[in-house]
Amino acid sequence: MARIYIFKRFERFWHWAQAALIIFMLLTGFEIHGSYALLGWEKAADLHTTAAWTLIGLWLFAIFWHFTTGEWRQYIPTSKNIVAVMNYYSVGIFTGAPHPFRVSQLSKHNPLQRLAYLLVKLFINPLIWVSGLAYLYYNELAASKIAALSGISLGTIALAHTAAAFMMLAFLIGHLYLSTTGHTPLAHIKAMITGWEDVDADKPAAVPAK
Amino acid sequence: MRTGIFVVALLASMLLAPAVNAASEPVPAKLLKSTSDHTKFKALQQEFNSGPEVTKACLSCHTEAAKQLHQTEHWKWEYKNPQGQLLGKKTLINNFCISPASNEGACNSCHIGYGWKDDTFDFTSEVNVDCIVCHDTTGNYRKPAGLAGNVIAKTMEFPPGSGKIVKGINLKKIAQSVAKTSRDTCGACHFYGGGGDGVKHGDMDSSLAAPEKEVDVHMDALGLNFTCATCHMTKGHQVPGSRYAPTAQDKGAAHLRGKEYKTIPTTCQACHGQAPHKKIAKLNDHTDKVACQTCHIPAFARGGVPTKMSWDWSTAGKMGPDGKPLTIKDAKGHPIYMAIKGDFVLGEDVVPDYRWFNGTVTYTLRSDKVDKNNEPVQINRYEGSASDGKSLIWPVKIMRGKQPFDPVNKTLVVPHTAGNDDTAYWTNFNWDKAIAKGMATIGEPYSGKFDFISTESTWPITHMVAPAKNALRCRDCHASGGRLEKVPDIYIPGRGSDHARWLDTAGWAIAVLTLLGVLGHGLGRVILSKRNH
Amino acid sequence: MKRNLRLKVLALILAAGATSAAQAYDGDWKRGRIYFRHVCTACHSAEVKKAIPPNERTKAEWAAYLQADKHNKGKDSVTKYFSKQYRDSIKSKNAAAAKFADVPENELLQDVKVFVNKGAKDGDAPAGCS
Repeated sequence: MARIYIFKRFERFWHWAQAALIIFMLLTGFEIHGSYALLGWEKAADLHTTAAWTLIGLWLFAIFWHFTTGEWRQYIPTSKNIVAVMNYYSVGIFTGAPHPFRVSQLSKHNPLQRLAYLLVKLFINPLIWVSGLAYLYYNELAASKIAALSGISLGTIALAHTAAAFMMLAFLIGHLYLSTTGHTPLAHIKAMITGWEDVDADKPAAVPAK
Repeated sequence: MRTGIFVVALLASMLLAPAVNAASEPVPAKLLKSTSDHTKFKALQQEFNSGPEVTKACLSCHTEAAKQLHQTEHWKWEYKNPQGQLLGKKTLINNFCISPASNEGACNSCHIGYGWKDDTFDFTSEVNVDCIVCHDTTGNYRKPAGLAGNVIAKTMEFPPGSGKIVKGINLKKIAQSVAKTSRDTCGACHFYGGGGDGVKHGDMDSSLAAPEKEVDVHMDALGLNFTCATCHMTKGHQVPGSRYAPTAQDKGAAHLRGKEYKTIPTTCQACHGQAPHKKIAKLNDHTDKVACQTCHIPAFARGGVPTKMSWDWSTAGKMGPDGKPLTIKDAKGHPIYMAIKGDFVLGEDVVPDYRWFNGTVTYTLRSDKVDKNNEPVQINRYEGSASDGKSLIWPVKIMRGKQPFDPVNKTLVVPHTAGNDDTAYWTNFNWDKAIAKGMATIGEPYSGKFDFISTESTWPITHMVAPAKNALRCRDCHASGGRLEKVPDIYIPGRGSDHARWLDTAGWAIAVLTLLGVLGHGLGRVILSKRNH
Repeated sequence: MKRNLRLKVLALILAAGATSAAQAYDGDWKRGRIYFRHVCTACHSAEVKKAIPPNERTKAEWAAYLQADKHNKGKDSVTKYFSKQYRDSIKSKNAAAAKFADVPENELLQDVKVFVNKGAKDGDAPAGCS
């Protein structure tokens, strides 16, 4: 076993802060939706909004970071190896077969991860941002002179926001589980905390999927 | 001698002491707010034997006052609404005492005039305008029911033959102490609408005469101490802010002194503007859909005086075991059944109903057709919808009634209830006679048959504004089964009935299936890894 | 002897001044109403669980009660509850006492006298508790 430094300090901070905020916003968000009572509606709505602005701030930094460091390339999708990775998670993982993908600094994510994260970044996140901001600024939207904007009902906005929240919830469940599928259940999580990932030194890392 | 000097010195010092005090800290004579002391007017230094005599004296200085009053709804009891319906107490039917028509002697004690006992009343008479009823400060002015708005100036037996002695009021003293209107003067009628304290409105009753802050944050007798006219800013005796054509939504600015405004001064916005919530700005986002009153008047009839919520005339007329008209009282001593009126349901601290309301109110008039297939008959209908761009969600009191109507002509009827004559229902308990007399008096047809029909009337809740700390909280509406549960066509976050069922079902299903999927996958890994080892 | 006489004269002058001042003040029934409800009634409701509305007594009964100046079966005086000391002692939690903290005791007493006289069973405008 060798260790390579995969996740840089900002990336780790971003990941965990984002994780905490998203979990908190799911909790408060579904309370606002009316699914249960936990903090009290008023507090839930207030904190949800504060968390939203915090997350937006964090995302702005993260986007800046991704583009200045070139890390955004980590999310370019690839079909290479994708079948092998799918085979691994559906069969190989049970039979003790090795993971077909080798992590490297240039390629941190396996093809399935790339696809999943890209979906989060290009679809779920924007949907949450746009619908959430529209939710917050509904009065300004409704007073807009542009008919296409003023015509959107709060119900439609809420529907989009809720749908995105459900998608995020499903992603979160899957993501949490898959984080336990390293060579030990805590290996990936440890890597996300320390930045260092254990890799099998015997085998060369697979060609970076690029 | 020495003691003499001592005493003189003492005396001098005692006499001087106040002067010295006065020099360092002058105690001014009490500053009168008015420029005139009415006790000093010659015209008022006489014994008055009737109301009109007082008015005549008033008009000798206030030359234009009666002419101004002649133009008001307070005088005419008539109002043409924007839809062209002729409204006003003169002709309207409600589901409390039904109508003053044919009952003027009793009901018109709340008219701002003297002697409107039937349709011969002279509406052009200046001396028949009652100045005192609005300008009294003694609290002793009385217009007893049965005298058509006249007063009792000399102690007498009233009603005649009843054996009851009613003391005359001191008109001279009352006239000499007139001043601006007060909560007590407006309240003399408006607190007692519908035939008793708090009966009609629910947000106006005698508790507002000197209310605590919790009952009305603006009228708080020890705080802001608003009078009615602080908001109902009256010019030339014209009082703004009528419920016949209310302002449901005021998009105007807060009124500054010296500026002219087209918006009326009675709305919340006329003082508070459009964005009054400073601490929690999000609350300002509600004002496009929700009237201020909805959150800031959490309940009506909060001052300890109950209001009538329903009134069933059909059960009237029961006699007690003693053969006398039956009265049943509740635990607090308020009548819930009276032979002359029927059954009541009273309410205190009542949570309002909520309606979309755009300021248009359409009434069911005496001539309008009603029938039992369309119960309850809407005595008045609050127009409005989520989409008309003019409506806000308003708190209202819904008064439910059951009252006589003519099933043949299909109209509501006006019964003659109050009076000492043989046809008055309250004297004789005979609907046939009472309705025939009432309808004959107003000159409308009556088939001779009557039945009872369910009715509803809607009343705006706009007084008894609570202190901010007692306003509604988010959860009162942002929840399933909350206050606005039945308000349609608006998405309220947190209200379950607004959710897209398919989305919630699909969303939770996907989440649960994902969870089951990963749990199954994990279980497989655990089992197989054990087997592999 | 002379001194005594002079003192008596002085006392008479002062007493006459005081009564004439009291007589000059008519009494404000509305202020009396507020003091009666927010101080008398409020405390009676909280402490004794029984308030006495003005219309439970006749004018003569109220006048006699105030004249006798005996409160709580003679354990203390009625006027005590109009004194500045009393108002000062409750003004932190009683808005009426706070608002009328500087009103002379005899004026406030007169206000309430006028109010209960007016609101008595046989008064000009019988008044209940609220």
